Amino acid sequence: MRRIAALVLAGLLLALLPPAHAQTTFSGKTVTIIVGYAAGGGYDRMARMIARYLPKYLPGNPTVIVQNMPGANSLIAANHVYGVARPDGLTLAAFNRNLALGQLVKVEGVRFDMSKFAWIGSPSNETTILAIRSDLPYRTFDELKRAREALIIGATGPGANTYDFPLLLKAFLGANLRIVSGYPSSADIMLAIERKELDGRAGSYSSIKPFIDRGLVRAVIRARASVPEIEKLPVDEELTSDPRAKAVMALRSTPEVIGRPYVAPPGTPAEFIQAHREAFSKVTKDAEFLAEARRAGFDIEFVSGEEALRITNRVLNAPADVVRVFAQFFKFE
Amino acid sequence: MLDALASGLFQVLQWQTLSYMLIGIFVGFWVGLLPGIGGGTTLALMLAFIYRMAPVQAFAFLLGMHSVTATTGDITSILFGIPGEGSAAATVLDGHAMAKKGEAGRALGAALMSSLVGAIIGAAALALAIPVVRPLVLTFGSPELFMMAVVGIASISSLTGRGSRAMLRGFLAGGLGLLFAMVGQDPQAGILRYHFGQLYLWDGLKLVPVLVGFFAIPEIVDLAVRRTAIAGNVPVGRLTHGVVEGIKDTFRHRWLVLRCSLIGTWIGILPGLGGAVAQWMAYAHAVQGARTAEDRERFGKGDVRGVLGPGAANNSKEGGDLIPTVAFGVPGSSAMAILLGGFLILGLAPGPDMLTKHLAITYSMVWTIVVANIITVGASLAFLNHLAKLTTIRGPLLIPFLILLTFVGAYTASNSMGDVIVALIFGGLGYLMVRFGWPRAPLVLGLVLGNIVESYLWVSTARYGAAWLTRPGVLVLIALACLMVAWPFFQERRIRARAR
Repeated sequence: MRRIAALVLAGLLLALLPPAHAQTTFSGKTVTIIVGYAAGGGYDRMARMIARYLPKYLPGNPTVIVQNMPGANSLIAANHVYGVARPDGLTLAAFNRNLALGQLVKVEGVRFDMSKFAWIGSPSNETTILAIRSDLPYRTFDELKRAREALIIGATGPGANTYDFPLLLKAFLGANLRIVSGYPSSADIMLAIERKELDGRAGSYSSIKPFIDRGLVRAVIRARASVPEIEKLPVDEELTSDPRAKAVMALRSTPEVIGRPYVAPPGTPAEFIQAHREAFSKVTKDAEFLAEARRAGFDIEFVSGEEALRITNRVLNAPADVVRVFAQFFKFE
Repeated sequence: MLDALASGLFQVLQWQTLSYMLIGIFVGFWVGLLPGIGGGTTLALMLAFIYRMAPVQAFAFLLGMHSVTATTGDITSILFGIPGEGSAAATVLDGHAMAKKGEAGRALGAALMSSLVGAIIGAAALALAIPVVRPLVLTFGSPELFMMAVVGIASISSLTGRGSRAMLRGFLAGGLGLLFAMVGQDPQAGILRYHFGQLYLWDGLKLVPVLVGFFAIPEIVDLAVRRTAIAGNVPVGRLTHGVVEGIKDTFRHRWLVLRCSLIGTWIGILPGLGGAVAQWMAYAHAVQGARTAEDRERFGKGDVRGVLGPGAANNSKEGGDLIPTVAFGVPGSSAMAILLGGFLILGLAPGPDMLTKHLAITYSMVWTIVVANIITVGASLAFLNHLAKLTTIRGPLLIPFLILLTFVGAYTASNSMGDVIVALIFGGLGYLMVRFGWPRAPLVLGLVLGNIVESYLWVSTARYGAAWLTRPGVLVLIALACLMVAWPFFQERRIRARAR
């Protein structure tokens, strides 16, 4: 009897002891997610959604708020989180997925090292596609390549996937494209397609999807990162045998696998990073969150912090000759 | 179609929808009143609350908020000379000048009533445009958009004083405004211009800190120098009777209000131009209506027509703004881009479906704009007379509060000290311009149109070569621009002929 009582008591004590990894608690604290863009954009909307679900999964159920720190394509936010924010586990940052490329081509104003951030992960990837007007006679990329007259593709400007992606298709795959860049936003490009000023555009799949669904444009080619619906489209880098062209196209699309990067300041204690990583992983499996994300037009595909860091390092260690060619095409904007 | 119109109204008037709208209006009222926090940012914050709402309720909530910000933004502009919203800056020129003459009540009455009329006309335009909306928007290509911006710049000639010297100053100020618009990364090649090594300047000058500093700081300095209340030494009794007078003014100048409403709607329909442009073109149009030289001189010194024009235009553009958003899923402004996020959350695909299958929802938006503005203006009228009394507070007591409002307003643009510095610099510039008799309106117009002019000139030429110059729409707009530049000369000749 006494043995059983002792066992029960020991069991109770064990149950009362907090699990090992939950020793860090955020109870009564406020976690701030710094977003490198103004309110209302994709990065911001994603952060605000996550901010509502994180408290449920972080030990101690802290308050989570979003703070916008827009400017210079989120360089300001990245510099702040790298150099100024305290590494106490209470600050996270969500910023431009192309920052690693910016660091690689040595953009002015970069005061951080992407490989030294404490990576939490990315809740989704972003796929770039090229879409052309459905009333054009070309149904596939092959047909498009044989087009006698150049297709007019609208773009915002260098450094945006609306520009870089078709530029590489033209340079390395011989697609007959004429790129008209300088539209104020991708929405303006869409309207120009509607009035037949343009034949098509490149951009992230999630933003073009509504227009594919209503039959205005059709997707013909995609970059490496993917979602199931467009898995079958040809992939840009697979259509060439030139290894350097392959490498340059791969370099451009690698950061898209980490579509919405989340990091903490360098030097954040490991137990806090662990807590955030676990919370993110659980949020991105939460049924309610997934339903909400689907309605907001996001495909959730969690990329872990370890994986995100590995991908970032792969970008930063690209061979010098590939970087040289890439730098001719890429401007950080 | 009438069924949908009626059903849209009934859906808006259901108590649940109406109460969501009231919450929206309450929020929008304050957002408009306080400088800095813009309608767009607030929309982004409100999106989180709509997941469990029905579409009509959600749009009542969101649009109810957004459509009143322009209305109440005018109040701050008039009372303190601090633009309450980016789209309410033009009201400062004559509205605040009226407040300084002791006519704050009249200016407020005129601003609110013209806002209401503008909102209704804009909403009506949205409703009427629905059958023809697609061709209407699609005839405007990049070359035409470029020319529209040129027409806007041409209207500078009306925003300056008389005489060749004043005209020269006006166009120089406009040119300076265009130059300020060049700051930041250029849109074609990503080259950094005039950024002085500052990351803050990569995105160019932000409109709100520029406007807040440019208009508010000279007024604060003026108030400090005068050492009186804003309304000088006007007896309180006179102030409180003005509101009714201002409402009457709206109907006395009904054609002006109507024309400015249409200008606002049209600019709203064109993607990219936006509210910051609409108000100034409406203001320029109001000035063009002056019949005599003395009449012209009254503008800028507190003429009610200078309040009515922008007041009507910045509200009527709301209806126009919705047209490309609803019909194409292509937002006409940054606020509408955020609203588009709301469409997706609600499971609606903006586009042709909104004009057929979901027509009742589209009409519910029209009604929301109308009902929200009626409620706001009605509620405001009850205490406008008391608001007007704020202009009798002694300057030294008011100034700390105004300074706080100015700098907090500037800072909210991007939560950066850069915003405050920009506000200070433009405050100094604005003060010098006022002191030496240079017009400020052309500079602002140059700044808000600079990027549009640059982008669309580039795109038009890249797409069409020189051929775009011969498009019929472009030719019409070129003629219009020439007419606008020449108008003051005609006007002067006519005045002189009449004098003889």
